[in-house]
Amino acid sequence: MIDNTFERKRLLAQLREERIARRKLLKAFGSAGLAAAALPLLGRGAFADEAGKQAGPGGLALARPDRPVTLPLYEDPIKSGLAPETGGTFRVFNYQDYIDKNLLTSFGKLYNVDVELTTFDSMDQCITRLATHGVAPDVSDITPDRLDQCVAGKLIKPINKDYIPNLKANIWPSLHSPFYDVGSQYGVPYTIYKTGIGWRDDKISEDIPNLANPWSIFWNSQKYSGYVGVLDDARESLSMAMCYRGQYDVNTEDPAQIDAALNDLKALIPICNPKINITEYQTLPQGNMWLHQSWSGDLLGAYVFYLPKGDDGSHLRFWGAPKGKGPIQNDTFAICSTTTKPVLAHLFLNYILDKDVAYGNFINFTGYQPPQVSITGDSLLASKAIPQNLKNVILTSDDAGPGSMQEMTLTPKGQALWQSAYARFNSGT
Amino acid sequence: MYPKWLWPVFAIPGVFWLLMLFLVPFYAVIGVAFGGVDPIFQSPVPAWNPLQWNFDSALNTLQGFLPGREYWQVFLRTAEYVAISLASCLLIGYPVAYYISRHAKKTKGILLVLLILPFWVSYLMRMLAWVNLFSPDGYIDKFLIWSGIAPHPPDWLNGNPVSVILALIYGYIPYLILPLLAALDRIDKSLLEAARDLGASPFRAFFHVTLPLSKTGILGASVIIALPMFGDYYTPNIISGSPRTSMLGNQIDIFFHGGPQPSVGAALTLFLSVFLGILMIYYMVTIAKAQKEIPS
Repeated sequence: MIDNTFERKRLLAQLREERIARRKLLKAFGSAGLAAAALPLLGRGAFADEAGKQAGPGGLALARPDRPVTLPLYEDPIKSGLAPETGGTFRVFNYQDYIDKNLLTSFGKLYNVDVELTTFDSMDQCITRLATHGVAPDVSDITPDRLDQCVAGKLIKPINKDYIPNLKANIWPSLHSPFYDVGSQYGVPYTIYKTGIGWRDDKISEDIPNLANPWSIFWNSQKYSGYVGVLDDARESLSMAMCYRGQYDVNTEDPAQIDAALNDLKALIPICNPKINITEYQTLPQGNMWLHQSWSGDLLGAYVFYLPKGDDGSHLRFWGAPKGKGPIQNDTFAICSTTTKPVLAHLFLNYILDKDVAYGNFINFTGYQPPQVSITGDSLLASKAIPQNLKNVILTSDDAGPGSMQEMTLTPKGQALWQSAYARFNSGT
Repeated sequence: MYPKWLWPVFAIPGVFWLLMLFLVPFYAVIGVAFGGVDPIFQSPVPAWNPLQWNFDSALNTLQGFLPGREYWQVFLRTAEYVAISLASCLLIGYPVAYYISRHAKKTKGILLVLLILPFWVSYLMRMLAWVNLFSPDGYIDKFLIWSGIAPHPPDWLNGNPVSVILALIYGYIPYLILPLLAALDRIDKSLLEAARDLGASPFRAFFHVTLPLSKTGILGASVIIALPMFGDYYTPNIISGSPRTSMLGNQIDIFFHGGPQPSVGAALTLFLSVFLGILMIYYMVTIAKAQKEIPS
């Protein structure tokens, strides 16, 4: 007897690896009596385009900043004008320390529900727990590169934007209809950040922003050996090496380009003996690290929460590459298919986009900027929320959208190439 | 008289434990190593049926252990760290266990408590404490500078293999001493007395009686600490965080942590299990031999 689930997954995997054509796939599904089960996964015309672009999870097209994707709708959003559910528990699923619990409590009081925060360590863990029903949250943080996966696997529900007026009112225009989810059918932007260079100017003598190639500082950091760090993330670390070489397609699946990036990363080991971690928000302000590939949000976190006593943080610096020359990433919030409070889930999405709520969450807790129109470098400087030396940590609407560089979903083959390369860097071989 | 089934019943919890917490998970690892991944979620899809096993990924991974290939160096490094740590643990732990077993009289209870004391603090916390101790402004460097032993102390936490090995020794030594102590306690003291009566010096008695009789204890304790050391990934992560000191466990962590290659992580785990299985078989053969040598 054929194991239908296994067979269905095998056929879909073959499709994704482009070993069989779509017509052949449908024939194969038909012969296995699986067409009915498989068709919902294939979506409404959401296959990879005719130009031979590779398909992502469930056969969905891979979104890129210059190649927007409309995600398929498997169900209709809830109707407008419904009353929010009250009582019981509203469950939020997010990274640890990535949302202020006081705001959750306030939301609970507002709508007479208990709000429970469940956390995950990584987006992989988030997806696995959602997919295996290890958790049943109402809303979850999802990164854009996993949104297609969640849609294909029906882990999230489409949203009705009538309940979320703050999206248009408060959020950057460039993210009203982002390339990874045209029409914002599934998620709303939560935070935005650049991947750049964080350093201490009391330890690093070079004028990094004015170097011909600022990324090259890592490859010229012999004198800072032992105080240099690279992000513990396959995509980020290899992307940095690509940017260093002026290779700005950080979604490449070309083995030669990935190998070249790996060789450049490996070259760092004898140069500066880099540490691989994501604790720069702590180690930079405390002086254990002097130069670290950094997420922009971590520099603000460092300034707000981790400065040693008596330190004004004036030596902390950040450089992010101009648009298209360095990665910019964002997080979204989406409504999970397990929600028992869909109306309230919509209201929660609207709540976190409220300008005061978003500002409070940013300044008092996460350090990660929400893409709010009202939050600008000048306004934060004027209110003394950030120091002059970290003004460039704050991004603008123009930084996102077409022409930007964002690490997005790869095919499994591409992911395997990146992961294997990173494993080799990590092992020092 | 007791019914025949009574004593076997006592084994049920142990058998259940072994089945549920070792054999089933281990078979799951085998299933993942020879299985596939979910095309949407990239999560492992174990192949439970051996007829569906796909050996491609595991064979590719195995080839990675050939000299010059991707896992060769990290495997050698791991084996080196474990061998040095194990030898050091034995050199430090054996005398401690010997002293407590043979010479501690009234203080034996207190010494045992002191041995168990490290277990009161989690391994992770103990490692983090080491980070503070060995940091450039930590007590170790301050002492070295103050005492003049090393005016320019080494950079302990900067991809220094010595620090990782020291941390492994520190973390695992209690697990070695306790079973070793039990083995030494079991040695019949009259055998030692007989050796002394026959004119053996204390050293000869130790090398010809105590040490051979504690061989199974040494092997058992070594196996107990060598197995987790081989798979350790958080000690090098916390103490060093450098590619220079990365161990095989770190590679397993990368492939299991997410992405489309859990089968590689599982294959690495299986390789490690087979390698450790060889050591385990040697241990079991030695035990069997030792038991045969016991006069009935």
